[in-house]
Amino acid sequence: MVFVAAGGSVKLRFAEGEMELLLSVLQNGVASLASYLAAHVLLCLVPAFFIAGALSALVPQQSIIRFLGPEAPKWVSYSAAAGAGSLLAVCSCTIQPLFAGIYKKGAGLGPAITFLFFAPAANILALSYTGVALGADFAIARIVLALSFGVGIGMIMAIIFRQGDTARLADQAFAGGVGISRSTLLFLAALVALLLAGTLKFDWLTAGLFSVELPWASGPALQAQLGRWVPVDVATGAEGLSVQGLLLIGLLGLIGLAAWRGLGLVDNGFNRHTWLTLGLTALTLVLAALGIRTTENGLLLTLTGRSVVVALLCALLLPLARRFEAWDVQQWLWETWRFIRQIFPLLVVGVFLVGVIRTFIQPQWIQAVAGSNTLLGNLAGVVFGVFMYFPTLVEVPIAKMFLSLGMHPGPLIAYLMADPELSLQSILITSAIIGKLKAWTYVGLVALFSTLAGLAYGAWVDGTPLLHLALLLAGFMLLLSGSLHLIGRFNRVTVH
Amino acid sequence: MLIKILGSGCAKCNRLEQLTREVVAELGLNATFEHVTEMDKIMAYPIMTTPALVIDEVVRVAGRMPGKDEIAGWLRA
Repeated sequence: MVFVAAGGSVKLRFAEGEMELLLSVLQNGVASLASYLAAHVLLCLVPAFFIAGALSALVPQQSIIRFLGPEAPKWVSYSAAAGAGSLLAVCSCTIQPLFAGIYKKGAGLGPAITFLFFAPAANILALSYTGVALGADFAIARIVLALSFGVGIGMIMAIIFRQGDTARLADQAFAGGVGISRSTLLFLAALVALLLAGTLKFDWLTAGLFSVELPWASGPALQAQLGRWVPVDVATGAEGLSVQGLLLIGLLGLIGLAAWRGLGLVDNGFNRHTWLTLGLTALTLVLAALGIRTTENGLLLTLTGRSVVVALLCALLLPLARRFEAWDVQQWLWETWRFIRQIFPLLVVGVFLVGVIRTFIQPQWIQAVAGSNTLLGNLAGVVFGVFMYFPTLVEVPIAKMFLSLGMHPGPLIAYLMADPELSLQSILITSAIIGKLKAWTYVGLVALFSTLAGLAYGAWVDGTPLLHLALLLAGFMLLLSGSLHLIGRFNRVTVH
Repeated sequence: MLIKILGSGCAKCNRLEQLTREVVAELGLNATFEHVTEMDKIMAYPIMTTPALVIDEVVRVAGRMPGKDEIAGWLRA
């Protein structure tokens, strides 16, 4: 410093304070990203991306669509709509044409709405990620509530707008179509097993089979350094970064590099990078399933049931994949890579920003608004979900942040129900296809039902017996659909 | 020959167009390409799933990615 004036030093100190704040904010972002990449991504999202790719490339859409024809009984078409939602609509670009198709080609408004409601909340990526980041109970609550309310809202919409929704002419769109082949089913089952083996917390999976201690002098020092960079903080839910985590992040980076050519160009034929990518992926999954801990003298490696099962399943995938034609396998890998490229960058940025924003949110604010399972708290969750638009899956780390800040699980579920279903974009698409009146009725119903879902789940967490809740909910649904049915009949009578 | 690709401009649809163009070039055929993105025009065909390939107003495939050999077979027909 040349200017040693009093004013200058004050200014400098001020800048230092800002610098420190900026650094700590950035550190929070990086820390949230690092612990996210190390802990959550590997054993759940990596298999989930491969499953999503397989569903998109290997399951012919027609095999599910054919159950949606206007002649199909109601229960078949509603369950097929829900199935289409979770099986086919992994990305938003399939949702729009399928929704328009289901609606315009005869299945009618009800199943179309069920599809629209169920698809974003219950596809394999959203569910497995929710399960790992927030806990299995949240994932189960999400799928059960989304399923029952999706069908409920679909039926209510069908009743309200019964007039003018007489089945439009069906044509060949629903005809024929091949079923899902047995080899595809087996392959999908093996992938799902891999996903489950990597994420479930059963004793026989987590128990150590045997351990070796590798002497590694600089291990403890490295772990201590990592602990300084990414501190563990139980109060805020920050998980820290282990040596294993660091290793896995490095491997993820390598996979990304190899996959750029290996999976991105796979539809021109398999290349060396393809095999490298797949090998690295398998290695990473097995390593992630190993227990690696730093001790005073080195590294303690523990072989768990999980690592054995994961390794066996990876090995099993190879002969299963060989039963497909090469073109199908190429399509599978290409679709997988497309999903990763489309969703993963958004997730990384989202998780980083969540870590940054977290610094500025006082837990007291969240607790004051949604700390307990009140009507107001649930409404707040819904409103936040409607007005904030987050890209696919980013709602999950955000929900995790709210949970660690003291949000009650009830309003959290209300938020999780509303956020993916209602966004400006989805409202616009919906109203372009079915008209403004129907679209806004749908929005109102989703808001109502999300609040209800939050209240019900919150009450269950607070100890209300499940049976009471089920009865109350069933009663409410009956009342609602009954009165709507009466209104519908009344309207029809006056018109005629 | 008029070849239409139906799809909302998603990655799969672009890929299908690229593949078909490659096959057309390999076979040395003369074809006009049209990429249909408007939902109403897409829905005028008896399909519900995209991407779809329409050759001379005949829907050849919808909702999945055909292989190059398959495309070549339709183009020769």
